[in-house]
Amino acid sequence: MSARPRLGIFKMASCDGCQLQLVGCEDELLAVAGALDIAFFAVATSKKDDGGRYDLALVEGSVSNEEQLAHLLDIRARSDFLVTIGACATSGGIQALRNWRDVDEMIRVVYATPSYIDTLATSTPIADHVPVDFELRGCPIDKGQLVELITAFLVGRRPAIRDESVCMECKRAGATCVLVAKGDPCLGPITHAGCGAICPRFGRGCYGCFGPKERAAASALAAHLASGGVPAEALVRKLRGFTAWAPAFRDASDALDEG
Amino acid sequence: MQFLERAALDALFDALRAEGRAVLGPTVVDGAIRLAPIDGAQDLPAGWTDAQGPGHYRLRRGGDATFDGYVVGPDSLKQVFFPSKETLYRAERRADGKLGFSPVLPDPGASAVLGVRACDLAAARIQRAALEGGPYAEPRHRARREAALIVAVNCTRPGALCFCASTETGPRVTEGADLVLTERPDGFLVEAPTQAGRAVLARLDTRPAAADEVAWVDDAMREAAANMGREVDLDGLPEQLFGRLDHARWKIVAERCLACGNCTSVCPTCFCSTSEHPSSIDGDEASRVRLWDSCFTEEHAYIHGGGFRPRTEDRYRQWLTHKVGAWVAQFGTSGCVGCGRCIAWCPVGIDLTEEIAALRQGEGIAALPAPPAHACATDEDLVPRAATVTRVERESDDVVTLHVAVDEGLQGVLPGRFCQVSLPGIGEVPISISGGDGALLEHTIRAVGRATDALCALSPGDAVGIRGPYGRAWPLEALAGRPVVVVAGGIGLAPLRGALRSMIARPDEFPEVHLCYGARSPADVLYAKELLGWMEVPTMHLHLTVDHASPAWLGHVGVVTRLLDARSVPAGASAMICGPEIMMRFTVERLAQLGVPDERTWVTMERNMQCATGFCGRCQYGPYFVCKDGPVFSFDQIRFLFGEEGY
Ligand SMILES: Cc1cc2nc3c(=O)[nH]c(=O)nc-3n(C[C@H](O)[C@H](O)[C@H](O)COP(=O)(O)OP(=O)(O)OC[C@H]3O[C@@H](n4cnc5c(N)ncnc54)[C@H](O)[C@@H]3O)c2cc1C
Ligand code: SF4
Ligand code: SF4
Ligand code: FES
Repeated sequence: MSARPRLGIFKMASCDGCQLQLVGCEDELLAVAGALDIAFFAVATSKKDDGGRYDLALVEGSVSNEEQLAHLLDIRARSDFLVTIGACATSGGIQALRNWRDVDEMIRVVYATPSYIDTLATSTPIADHVPVDFELRGCPIDKGQLVELITAFLVGRRPAIRDESVCMECKRAGATCVLVAKGDPCLGPITHAGCGAICPRFGRGCYGCFGPKERAAASALAAHLASGGVPAEALVRKLRGFTAWAPAFRDASDALDEG
Repeated sequence: MQFLERAALDALFDALRAEGRAVLGPTVVDGAIRLAPIDGAQDLPAGWTDAQGPGHYRLRRGGDATFDGYVVGPDSLKQVFFPSKETLYRAERRADGKLGFSPVLPDPGASAVLGVRACDLAAARIQRAALEGGPYAEPRHRARREAALIVAVNCTRPGALCFCASTETGPRVTEGADLVLTERPDGFLVEAPTQAGRAVLARLDTRPAAADEVAWVDDAMREAAANMGREVDLDGLPEQLFGRLDHARWKIVAERCLACGNCTSVCPTCFCSTSEHPSSIDGDEASRVRLWDSCFTEEHAYIHGGGFRPRTEDRYRQWLTHKVGAWVAQFGTSGCVGCGRCIAWCPVGIDLTEEIAALRQGEGIAALPAPPAHACATDEDLVPRAATVTRVERESDDVVTLHVAVDEGLQGVLPGRFCQVSLPGIGEVPISISGGDGALLEHTIRAVGRATDALCALSPGDAVGIRGPYGRAWPLEALAGRPVVVVAGGIGLAPLRGALRSMIARPDEFPEVHLCYGARSPADVLYAKELLGWMEVPTMHLHLTVDHASPAWLGHVGVVTRLLDARSVPAGASAMICGPEIMMRFTVERLAQLGVPDERTWVTMERNMQCATGFCGRCQYGPYFVCKDGPVFSFDQIRFLFGEEGY
């Protein structure tokens, strides 16, 4: 037996995209596999959860049914350091849009046999249910940040994952601001960094998929965009994207919705 | 002054290339005029013009000027001399367990930067003062700066957001340029204030300018100065801003401000940075990377246990009171050169000229103390020296004292100063000198976070990195001859221990020393054995208290200020204090009641630190950088700001 820390990668309601980022880290994956005992990683290996403890648990996805909630409580109880990965796990994800709707009615409309569907009325972030030691944002998460998180865990440093605006990365990268120079509504100023400002670097406004940064002044940005002629519905849609249920975005979009 | 035909502009590129220079200049990229490598006159934004407003920047076709159709874009010389991200050093763990640190220093080839405006040359001077003009000089900045030849341009058509006439930094180029061009429809009037500029000029086919052309330049400059899009009154501003820290405007602007950091990123004088410690997965190879930071981020003001500037109004106020306030005391000039970038590139269009005008309306004036003068500038490459832990003493559950031998020895090891103590891949943190001399350092460390946890877990023989020592020591010479009261809370005893040892060793100069020390509990009392020994020292008087007593504790219980009375604070005493800020605040007030004046009360300040040398801006505190102007201050130097929420 090795004394390598045990890593478990678990999933709730999600698309697997975040877990696949780890599979995509081909170069680093070998080093990770050498340094950690990857004890559970359903999308990549066939090993079953052996019911043991995890030193590091990465949890993808939101809580959207009772079964997931029970699973989550079990994982938390068996994990020393639990990290939520991705927009679903950290904010409820795109599926949290249903939180503004009547779920029963949607089920009736969408599914041929509504009785097969077992779901909670809301899709909620992991931190609403259990204590979380660290959050890795993004839809999907950024490979570089994932490797940094794992390395920092192993080496014992505070992960260099900065809670600052996307603008900070955008300016460091030398990209031209699409909001100022093109008038593109961009959520960068209120969005948590980590993506490397990839959308602005390709000339598009930020979609906010890393969720709100600390002190995200979503209403102040919305008020400015509205004064520049962006209609309220468009702003609501913009804020209700991948991280719609994150409080800073949710509150601002609700305020706009109510007019 | 010479005249260069418009058609001969390509010859300038040839002349620069003939000197082996890579040319950077203004060029259109993604809808803005950026500073980028260019090959010839065809890459310049001829025929482009910019429209700028608060939160607004658009390029359109218009006119046929090469330089005069537009003013500054988001880039400045800051990008060239102080890149947004760079590796400072690499560290490796060698097979023998020792650490090897190797500096990463740039080897910039000769370059030329074309089209630089007067405001940006003033900004480069100001950045140089911050990065090379303090007690330390940053060699990376200097190397890049020295490698660049500057071809500047006089602005004949200032933009809507320009106000360099108000800041006295333009529109005419008066400093920092090797060549200066003034554009006319038919060509360029060229001046060459430096030898390097004259060498380039000699390669060009020019003719002497006619007297009316020379006069035209003067007229054009006068006209430009009268045509600024904005203006600002900086007169007496530092005193006004610091006298109006509770002005209603701070809250008003904070309702719009997104705390995004765009303003500081585009500002050509802002120089704050932070650092990261990336490593390989096994931690054996690591480096330290410096990157642009902003006082609008939460982390900027973080120290263990919380941030000093949680609210957006704190951050905006921090920025503006530094930029156009404390900057003057620190660098002899405002930090604003009137370029207007922060207005254009603020996503919500906050206009500092408007904010300044609003803040001038109000009451309140506060004089700013001057920071101490520093002997100039030893090179500081920010690279630690390899060191070895020789002994570990456990002081309490969460505190250890490391004895550290630095391979090359250290100069200037004095109580009150501190070192940056590092573990590659984990971090680098400021830790006071709690004892020792040049060969052997003592550091007493409380485990509160990742870096201090790892340091507290070290064993004899383990390797660490040390840089320093930095900062100002306790002024023992100034304290000699009077009774001294030393007030310490918790880990705050660490930076005082060396001073206490010195005072005990010099009983003639320090005939009466009182140590008033408060710890959380009896088990948290530091240096217990040494304290017992001090009880036997005739010149030393010990007064101890704990917050939470144990059954065996017979001493005082309660806060440390309760120890301060006429007995422990003799008439004519001076004081030295170190502990949490709230404890220091109450202590200073109590000492004042007992007759110790501010100028004989010395305190040590704690702020987030990355560089310890005045480069990173993290520890800026009013007119000071705590790292180089402190951490030890006499209280009269900081009273005006001490305890002010948000600083
Ligand atoms: C001049 C000076 C002298 C000090 N002397 C001592 C001492 O003798 N003994 C001792 O135990 N502690 C001392 N400290 C405090 C010590 O530096 C912090 O406890 C330490 O930085 C925490 O780092 P961390 O990574 O363990 O904690 P975390 O909370 O994980 O901090 C993360 C990072 O924030 C920064 N940071 C956090 N807290 C502080 C802080 N208080 N000051 C500056 N930067 C901070 C550091 O960059 C740190 O790496 C001193 C601080 C200063 C400014
Ligand atoms: S002033 Fe503008 S650019 Fe600066 S932090 Fe506030 S919103 Fe961002
Ligand atoms: S504060 Fe604004 S106007 Fe002044 S130099 Fe900085 S970016 Fe330019
Ligand atoms: S300026 Fe960097 S720590 Fe003081």
